[in-house]
Amino acid sequence: MLHAAAWFVWLTAALIAVSTTRNPLYLTLALAVFMTTVYVIRRPGETYAAPLAPGRFALYVIPLAAFINALLSRVGETILFAIPQTWPLIGGPITAEALVYGALNGLLLTALFTAFAALNLAVPIRDLIRFIPRAFYPVAIVASIAVTFAPATLRQMQQIREAQAIRGHRMRRLRDWLPLFMPLLTGGLERALQLAEAMASRGFASETAQIHTGRTQAVSIVGLLGILSGGLLTAWQQASWGVALIVGGSLTIATALWLTGRSVPHTTYRRTPWGYREWLVTGGALVAIAGFLSWGEATRAYNPYPILTWPAFDALAGTALLGFLLPALVVE
Amino acid sequence: MLRFLWAVRRLLRVLIYALTTAIGLLAFLYPVIVSGQAASTPLLLAFVVGLSFVALLLEVQGDAVNAKFIALLGILTAMNAALRFAEVAIPGPGGFSPIFFLIIVTGYVYGGRFGFLLGALTMLVSALITGGVGPWLPYQILTAGWVGLSSPLLHPLTRWLRAEGCWTEVALLASFGLGWGLLYGALLNLSSWAFIVGPGAPMPATFRETVRLYGAFYVTTSLVWDLARGLGNVALTLAFGAPTLRALRRFHKRFSFTYRLQGP
Repeated sequence: MLHAAAWFVWLTAALIAVSTTRNPLYLTLALAVFMTTVYVIRRPGETYAAPLAPGRFALYVIPLAAFINALLSRVGETILFAIPQTWPLIGGPITAEALVYGALNGLLLTALFTAFAALNLAVPIRDLIRFIPRAFYPVAIVASIAVTFAPATLRQMQQIREAQAIRGHRMRRLRDWLPLFMPLLTGGLERALQLAEAMASRGFASETAQIHTGRTQAVSIVGLLGILSGGLLTAWQQASWGVALIVGGSLTIATALWLTGRSVPHTTYRRTPWGYREWLVTGGALVAIAGFLSWGEATRAYNPYPILTWPAFDALAGTALLGFLLPALVVE
Repeated sequence: MLRFLWAVRRLLRVLIYALTTAIGLLAFLYPVIVSGQAASTPLLLAFVVGLSFVALLLEVQGDAVNAKFIALLGILTAMNAALRFAEVAIPGPGGFSPIFFLIIVTGYVYGGRFGFLLGALTMLVSALITGGVGPWLPYQILTAGWVGLSSPLLHPLTRWLRAEGCWTEVALLASFGLGWGLLYGALLNLSSWAFIVGPGAPMPATFRETVRLYGAFYVTTSLVWDLARGLGNVALTLAFGAPTLRALRRFHKRFSFTYRLQGP
């Protein structure tokens, strides 16, 4: 099993690489790489946990995005057909260029979705929760309680349903769900009370302890002001100053996080080892992103307007994208 | 002196709420305000939304370091996430989702901070369980948090109408659910607008034209779903509202006790 941090580096690099391009050739290549990763790390015989597998997501999203963009964007030279201008909101010509551009956006979304699907498959929930920063340890505790109790809640729902069915309860209207919902709610609240008592009796903060001080509040306000003014400046065409302010604000908020987290004692029971596999995956991802951004400079952007052209392809940039295949190669 | 400090901290808290709301709205509205963005803005926007959520969470969780609060929040989040799981497994009509009812009602009874944390954590935990982590997650978390954070705003209205415990209280909560059902869809649509319409597309020059375009986008993609969500909230609140309010208030009394050290 790979270290979760290696997966995060891989995911971040993959997201940046994919979202800087609209070139269909690169997008398809990246999607193929991500799909291979998902296919390899999926344990055999296991049903896919997410509501939608990437393939089905693509079948749904690409046509939808193409359709919406064709309705919204009326630019392009190749007019397929026209909706009468008298129709409100959607009247106007439908162009092939707008269809293609919409489909490309759908392809990009599918690639993003697939990269996230790989992360969801590869990293256990416990490790994802461990990545919640130390400053948020109450939130991390709540999240781990919730993840632990969610299956129990589902089971309880099933039990209440069976009990009511045995008593001859039938589900016809919405109000008939009330005898199912109320026992679930009151049972849950009772269980929360028991859990709170158990936690308090083991010495977990039975009284409210302040971890957020006036100082960190002030620091976060400074950071928020930076982000807000930066965002406004970017919107008003002052991009370089705006981005600088956004970066500064982000660093200030990170400082507030660090200040809060410092006051929280933290111990690790079991360390996940960081071995050669992790080095290979992070290295591969970093080389891939660097190579793709530098070699693909000229060919990354692709614009189908005003008339469709065949996209350009740079062999080096395409090869760089293959660096994202490393997790599929080294995972055991 | 202590009271002065308390007033300062209260002011800081209100400032943080206002600033994060402003940043969130700016990020949501950004694709409509600006045309011709750089290629990576959707990810940058998701990052900014995530950051403002971080600052807000840092503020809101301040009172959460307490066994009773944490246990209650954890169990209710588990329940709501399980409801969302059921929603994903058995798709209802359109955008109907059973989670908003509990977020609104608990925010109303247990306060805005509790509602915010319940909304945000429901989205986070259900995404973890169902494997739905993606670039849309920060927007979902922040918006669902806003739903819970805003529901105590109904308190002055119910006090003014002397509606506590009457059917008018349930009706108020139901109309609040209808409003948020529509607003939630509109806000999340704004975030996916950046992805679907995409950068580099020739955008209309005037603000009015953009609004018209967004209207078309909204009507074609989400109006029906949002109506289903809003009306689902209304139906759930009318059917379950009164008994749920009673149960939550009864447990509120049982939860509000303090431990005290016994000693000389």
